[in-house]
Amino acid sequence: MIAKELKEEVYKCIKCGICLTPCPVYNLLRFEGASPRGRVQLIKKILEGKTELSENFQSLLFTCLLCETCTANCPSGLKTDRLMKTMRSVIQERLGTDRAKKMLGNFLRDRRRPPFFLFCERTRENLISSRKGRSELLADSGIPRPSSKTLRQQVPEVNAASEPRGKVLYFTGCATNYVYPNVGKSVIKVLNRLGVEVILPPGQMCCGLPLFQAGGREEALKNIRENLKLFNREDADTVVVDCAACGAALKKEYFLLLEEMGEDAKPAEELAKKVVDISQILVPSDLGGLLKPVPVRVTYHDPCHLGRSQGVREEPRNLLKRVPQLELVEMAGAEACCGGGAALPWEHPEVASGISRNKVQSIRETRATVVASGCPWCRRQIAENLDEKSIRLLHPVELIAEALGDT
Amino acid sequence: MLSPDVLPKFISIVGPERCKTSREDLLAYSYDAYVNEFLPDAVLLPKDTAEVAEIMKLASAQSVFVTPRGAGSGLGSGSLAKQGGVVLSFSMMNRILEINTANRYAVVEPGVVIGEFQRAVEKLNLFYPPDPGSANVATMGGSVVMNAGGMRGVKYGVTRDYVLGLEVVLPSGEVMQTGAITAKDVTGYDLTRLICGSEGTLALVTKVIVRLLPKPKTKRTLQAIYNSLDEAGNTVARIIEAGILPATLELMDKTIIKSLEDFLHLGLPLDAAAVLLIDVDGEPETVEKLANLVADFCKGQGARDVRVSQSEKENEQLWVARRAAFGAIARVRPTCIIEDATVPVSLLASAIKKILEVGERNRVQIAVLAHAGDGNLHPFFLCDHRDKEEMARVEKAMDELVDYAMSVGGTLSGEHGIGIAKSKYLPRQLSPASLSLMRGIKKTFDPQGILNPGSFLEHRA
Repeated sequence: MIAKELKEEVYKCIKCGICLTPCPVYNLLRFEGASPRGRVQLIKKILEGKTELSENFQSLLFTCLLCETCTANCPSGLKTDRLMKTMRSVIQERLGTDRAKKMLGNFLRDRRRPPFFLFCERTRENLISSRKGRSELLADSGIPRPSSKTLRQQVPEVNAASEPRGKVLYFTGCATNYVYPNVGKSVIKVLNRLGVEVILPPGQMCCGLPLFQAGGREEALKNIRENLKLFNREDADTVVVDCAACGAALKKEYFLLLEEMGEDAKPAEELAKKVVDISQILVPSDLGGLLKPVPVRVTYHDPCHLGRSQGVREEPRNLLKRVPQLELVEMAGAEACCGGGAALPWEHPEVASGISRNKVQSIRETRATVVASGCPWCRRQIAENLDEKSIRLLHPVELIAEALGDT
Repeated sequence: MLSPDVLPKFISIVGPERCKTSREDLLAYSYDAYVNEFLPDAVLLPKDTAEVAEIMKLASAQSVFVTPRGAGSGLGSGSLAKQGGVVLSFSMMNRILEINTANRYAVVEPGVVIGEFQRAVEKLNLFYPPDPGSANVATMGGSVVMNAGGMRGVKYGVTRDYVLGLEVVLPSGEVMQTGAITAKDVTGYDLTRLICGSEGTLALVTKVIVRLLPKPKTKRTLQAIYNSLDEAGNTVARIIEAGILPATLELMDKTIIKSLEDFLHLGLPLDAAAVLLIDVDGEPETVEKLANLVADFCKGQGARDVRVSQSEKENEQLWVARRAAFGAIARVRPTCIIEDATVPVSLLASAIKKILEVGERNRVQIAVLAHAGDGNLHPFFLCDHRDKEEMARVEKAMDELVDYAMSVGGTLSGEHGIGIAKSKYLPRQLSPASLSLMRGIKKTFDPQGILNPGSFLEHRA
């Protein structure tokens, strides 16, 4: 159930409305129930027993990107996102999970089953197939097909550097492992070149974020405990992540979630200290002389889970700026959510795409040919809505790997 | 309650998506930024004037109560369905229709957020001065019917000084234009200014024509830091008396400073008793001179330090902070009731003393904020509305403050309006003749009394 501290949290909302205008969902839908203030006030009514949990409330609660813009803007420091995330799990307990989410949960918790990205892809196809044929949809989508061999099948557990100067554990995440193995290979290549040994602990599981964001807190516990055990290894003090969402989970969400659930949060606190985003580890490194020119115009999109959640904003930019002849142009509203947050593209596809329109517009205005972003969800969402094959979506580390050349 | 045959008719005007009736949606329109809550029977979200006119035709034919709402940032229940009926929200009528650079005016729909409008005209080197603290929340329509003031009032005046004309829908459903796009217009009674500040009781504003100024070339923000609230208050009166005209002149006490610092970590002086936040704007040379003049002046009046911002970004951060004051104060206590009595500026320091004395006597925590330059006080009564006994003390403290303001020739409300928050005090300031005339005007516009029922005029002690 909902922790006592969070219950008191609703009284921090003085209803000033500062959260309305910056909220991407409210901006599009423009009715109060779709605003952070509206949801907080409804949660307050529910906690006070003045209204019931209902499907309509559930729908409003899930018409949210969990982008944390409201939390960042709240003058009274109300942890709006914590409240919404907790309520998602409360409502899942009370109203029961719908079938699609239950299936998603089963897949995420089982490493032998087909990867969840494949699953999402199929669910989506099934949902939309009444309107569009499968093949047509895939041709249109601009989404990379799941790789036939996963990253962890393609590379060894231990990737030694020629002149070892340290080692890191690499949390690959599902997206990199199953859909974007080139991101993973780039991470390994760049770190190896810097003399860092990269270990991919076998048995690592989905970080659980898609699961607990959808309200499946209990279900995510297994993943969390397993990952904590695997990555709190004594022999390494750095855990590298390339995915913004996984990073947010390992650095922040695990701890908060375990605390809110009254579980032992100590191991999560330990792990959080060791986790770094790939850009954080590369910026201070000695890359300068190794990088060859990559003459492209790049714009950088801040993933919510990297910028607002982790406070990592400058590092990816500084990294890109080090590539000779790479021209980095800022888009308007680089920190605005792209519309791919939470499972909104699956929950309310038309709302998600509506939000993506602004992002796509800002990207076009830069005339960049590459959009760099350290989040696979963002890259998918932007690619899908960009509808322009000439613009590539890449992880910043892929550009760095490209600049390192073949030798 | 709405009669069951009315709802389908509303739906036929706006469609089912923009006619909200679920319990959750009604709850989400039951509040504004004040404490009281009222549940409407339905919420309508029209997209254009024609729909608003249709809604009002139907409402007047069926005697349905209609209460207009902008962003719900008001501080007196003005936009709540106090006697049930329909809340008509303008949030989907939010287009800027025209920015005319040749004649320096703009036409906007009522749901445009003030701050977004300000930024849009500033891109064209124009300037819309009215700047309520809630500018990034509140709408143009809301600010017109409330005649919002704000932080630049000391130099630039308030909303009514910029409204040239309106398109309104009368309670009967008839569409009417007031005013003109020209800078001067004395044709007939000034209905524009009558509707401006009418708290949504006379007509529904569907378009607003505002005049614009050229954008000041430069701006500097100064923070004058004081060890005594009294000296800060005195400085304000002296600045005005000396004929210095800053663009803004805001006062914040230590409680406000601390909650803002907790929110934004800007390095505000936590050990100060008060800070004056002062903007000077204009031509670069003038601004330079004025900034020095104000800085010296403040020091002469006891400021222990004056910091001048070094960049546009720093200016902006300070104003982001100031705008967040109302929200940030919730860090201290969950409920904040803002009093906004206004006194002649020469009395500012003694008014602040009075506020503190009233707070102490009634054991109410009060934080002091003020649009100090125009004597517009904003004491924040910090409390918890769940505590009945405390709320009674808050009310008593407010009564005493109103007594004081009335005794020195001040006004009940500088800019937030009366709503239901202050309606009981209305006869203290308005004579029976004045009240009766106002009620007559209301009756002329709205003979059935369907627009914003339960508003300030209807309170009878």
